[in-house]
Amino acid sequence: MTAQTAPAPAPPDPGPQRPRRTAVRSDRARAERRLGWYLAGPAFVVMLAVTAYPILQAFYESLFSFRLTAPEDRKFVGLENYAVVLTDWVFWRALLVTVLITVITVVVELVLGFALALVMHRAARQLRGLLRTAILVPYGIITVVSAFAWFYAFDINSGFINQWFDWVPGISPDLNWFAGTGTSLFVIIASEIWKTTPFISLLLLAGLAQVPGDLEEAARVDGATGWQVLQRVVLPNMKAAIMVAVLFRALDAFRIFDNVFIMTNGAYNTEVLSLLAYKTSIVRLEIGLGSAISVLLFLCVILICFVAVKLFKVDLASSRGEKS
Amino acid sequence: MSALTARQRIGWGVITVLVLVYALFPVASIVATSFKLPSQLNTGTFLPETWSGTNYESILAPSGAAQELFLSALRNSVGISLIATAIAVVLATLAAYAIARLDFPGKKLILTTALAVSIFPVISIVTPLFNLWRAIGLYDTWPGLIIPYLSLTLPISIWTLAAFFRQIPWELEQAAQVDGATTWQAFRKAIVPLAAPGVFTTALIAFFIAWNDFVYGISLTSTSAARPVPAALAFFTGASQFESPTGAISAAAVVVTVPVVILVLLFQRQIVAGLTQGAVKG
Amino acid sequence: MLVACALALPLAACSSSGSDVPVLTWYTNPDNGGQAEIAKTCTAAAEGRYRIVTSGLPTQAAAQREQLARRLAAHDSSLDIISLDPPFIPELATFLAPVPEDVAAVVSKDVTKSALQGASWEGALVTAPFWANTQLLWYRKSVAEAAGLDMTQPVTWDQVIEAAASQDKLLGVQGIKAESLTVWVNALVASAGGAIVENPEAPQDEITIGLDSDAGRAAATILQSISQTGVGGPGLPTEDENASLTVFQGDSGSFMVNWPFVWAATQASVEDGTIDQSVLDDMGWALYPAVSADRPVAPPYGGINLGVGKYSKHVDLAYEAVECIVAPENQAQYFVSNGNPPASSVAFDDPAVLEEFPMAPVIRDSLELAVPRPQTRYYNEVSSGLQETWHPISSVNPDTTPQYSTEFITAVLQGKRLL
Repeated sequence: MTAQTAPAPAPPDPGPQRPRRTAVRSDRARAERRLGWYLAGPAFVVMLAVTAYPILQAFYESLFSFRLTAPEDRKFVGLENYAVVLTDWVFWRALLVTVLITVITVVVELVLGFALALVMHRAARQLRGLLRTAILVPYGIITVVSAFAWFYAFDINSGFINQWFDWVPGISPDLNWFAGTGTSLFVIIASEIWKTTPFISLLLLAGLAQVPGDLEEAARVDGATGWQVLQRVVLPNMKAAIMVAVLFRALDAFRIFDNVFIMTNGAYNTEVLSLLAYKTSIVRLEIGLGSAISVLLFLCVILICFVAVKLFKVDLASSRGEKS
Repeated sequence: MSALTARQRIGWGVITVLVLVYALFPVASIVATSFKLPSQLNTGTFLPETWSGTNYESILAPSGAAQELFLSALRNSVGISLIATAIAVVLATLAAYAIARLDFPGKKLILTTALAVSIFPVISIVTPLFNLWRAIGLYDTWPGLIIPYLSLTLPISIWTLAAFFRQIPWELEQAAQVDGATTWQAFRKAIVPLAAPGVFTTALIAFFIAWNDFVYGISLTSTSAARPVPAALAFFTGASQFESPTGAISAAAVVVTVPVVILVLLFQRQIVAGLTQGAVKG
Repeated sequence: MLVACALALPLAACSSSGSDVPVLTWYTNPDNGGQAEIAKTCTAAAEGRYRIVTSGLPTQAAAQREQLARRLAAHDSSLDIISLDPPFIPELATFLAPVPEDVAAVVSKDVTKSALQGASWEGALVTAPFWANTQLLWYRKSVAEAAGLDMTQPVTWDQVIEAAASQDKLLGVQGIKAESLTVWVNALVASAGGAIVENPEAPQDEITIGLDSDAGRAAATILQSISQTGVGGPGLPTEDENASLTVFQGDSGSFMVNWPFVWAATQASVEDGTIDQSVLDDMGWALYPAVSADRPVAPPYGGINLGVGKYSKHVDLAYEAVECIVAPENQAQYFVSNGNPPASSVAFDDPAVLEEFPMAPVIRDSLELAVPRPQTRYYNEVSSGLQETWHPISSVNPDTTPQYSTEFITAVLQGKRLL
């Protein structure tokens, strides 16, 4: 069925790996097309079913004023919920905090992740396994566990950080990390960075592996310093990997929820978009208003994604060496 | 490689220590907390003054206050994550094979959809799912979590596997066929050994992602029938409702971290390979 | 099969193995296992008419409500007996089966005033009072003495703050952005003769917030003076009940408002050896402080009442079980084993209670004076709105906070603002 609705002329192959004999064997091509959809169709349908359907439902719900504990008062209000959300600074504050967390984590993780990638790339064989294992531990740990670990370490009552670091200006046994926007965000971001840097560093490691070794060698022979090699040879050749890493992490960071939920639950202006949506629809049970926030959050992600995918495509081409 | 100078050796030693501290310190911190007596949680020291197994007893011993809560959550987490992983890997293997091997319109659409789904804000679909689930009776059940978990595990599986499969030298299959093997034999002898590591790695990565979920877990369950571990941590309690369950949470956190560390220890090479191939070639 | 069972086996064995015994699910808030214990007692007493199994609710009161509301709205028939935090009773009352008159008469007998109030909505009993909590003023005898404060007389907040400040000690209060902040502000406003919500039974958009009043300003003034004198300490903005206790037990402990769990918790710490016996000996208790000497004190009221789900398949049996659960002797037993005070005043006369909790008479007096938090269907909005505008305490200003929070909560209730 899907094969019938698919456009008849095959588009120019977007990602050819193997040389294709462009012999006009239309029946074989048709069979291949059908098989392709038979194989990929179920995954495609499941993906749509678990996301597209709910988001459409959310859009529908967002047009009503509906509180779960007062089902009899449900009424159609059009776009009023959106007006309420968009004219409230609480929403804009949450958006700002989310963007702030996203930008800081991505930038720090890019630098830190690159350092870790270099370490894994350059390490001698006998060290490599140990280093990789260590770096992968945060990757496998549950975010909620990471949030608790960082929270307990910094907490004014149960924590030890204040005792350990009281020689640092600004840190004293009386510093209450979770009683200020800046300090709370610091711990939230630290936990987020700790947990997700391994992911970004693995993506960068893959990029490093693609940098032609002979180019590096040649630059060294020409007398370039390590920094120059990095700047002129390594980084340009890793552009694609870097873009991919940034895109994935930025979109992931934009959804941040667990760390904030555990550590501050939004106190001290640390509320992020996901938490606002959660609080409105799950805690307050204001399904209509909450759905409106959910839809807006979705639109934000689409927007970022749209911009990013444009960049992403350009770089994919260059990573295949179609353009230097 | 072996000819490291003394300076390089020291350099690498320092780097290794730094990386180990970075990666393991928060883990060590929660392990230390988990061995503290409930009344010694606020001493402000890193290590417990007296090492105590009280917290582990409370979550593991038959008489423990949180034992039932924790063990049922552990069972749910393991079961639900495994099933969600298995379904995702099967569907993704078929899809990725098609994407890597066959020429059909819509490849890009599928990959783009997978990307879109993988960055989908989970919170956006929780409310409608909750409404739907309670209407059709999936609320607080295993399938009620397995289905949304597919939105987490399926996209990354497709991307990772598609990248893996693209690197497989499919000519081998043709070569085997030329040598007289049937299509199936060619596939089984030449391709399966090459593809299996990729499938396994993908499964590991997908499992980690399902294991990590929190939002679905707290929103779509309400009893120990389906509540997974991350959500269950919020249900722990101290000796009274006003006392912090810090110790029990830490102990539970350590228990669920152990399998992760073991998997990482055993399969670090495969995980690294899986994650690095998936992204760059994608 | 039933006949064979009745003939061949003692009834108790039948009830545990037979599938025909109706199972009542009791959703319990977290405790030290006391509710599960009572469930067993009552299952045994029912002699096979029903069997009670317990199922846990989340730790946080707000999370309990969230979960119950979702399940009740989904017409979940497994919710037979529910342990309910009083502020959320009005909102969930529409999902509860009405209390039969005879049951109401039994379960409300001898119940302390605040507990009875907390179990009712729109003038009728909608839940059975089970246990009732109230905060006391706990003090270090040495500090009170050094400050020259006579603790045999009722004290005011100003006196307590001054006494703590004069000794350079910290006051244990709950300044965290959580339900405990509403508990505190409600007690202050009520003691100053006001009410956070003036017409709690009104529909959502007609609710009038009473914070922009002399009582609201009096409450704000006390918070401001705690913050300005510094007696809250650095932990104040994240200080919950547990953290207050930690401060109180420490070297800078002086006075603390808190629930009675602190007594059992301190005893446990002494047993573990982390706290010196002298701290326990130094601990005194009194009625909650008043806002001013010429007005009655209005201590916080909390606790748990039992509701029966409207969609339960065994409403009658569930009420029968509720009657058993809230029997005064079970309440007394629960107090002794779990430290949660009874709603029934006669349960306080139990000798075991007096032995375990020497402050029991003060708790009973406090429960007669205690004032519940606003009983409105929109309690969550009121409480969250209040926390949003009164936290952190260092930002509270009597000239602006009461007025701003009134406007904010009103706008939220009218659907014009997000929370």
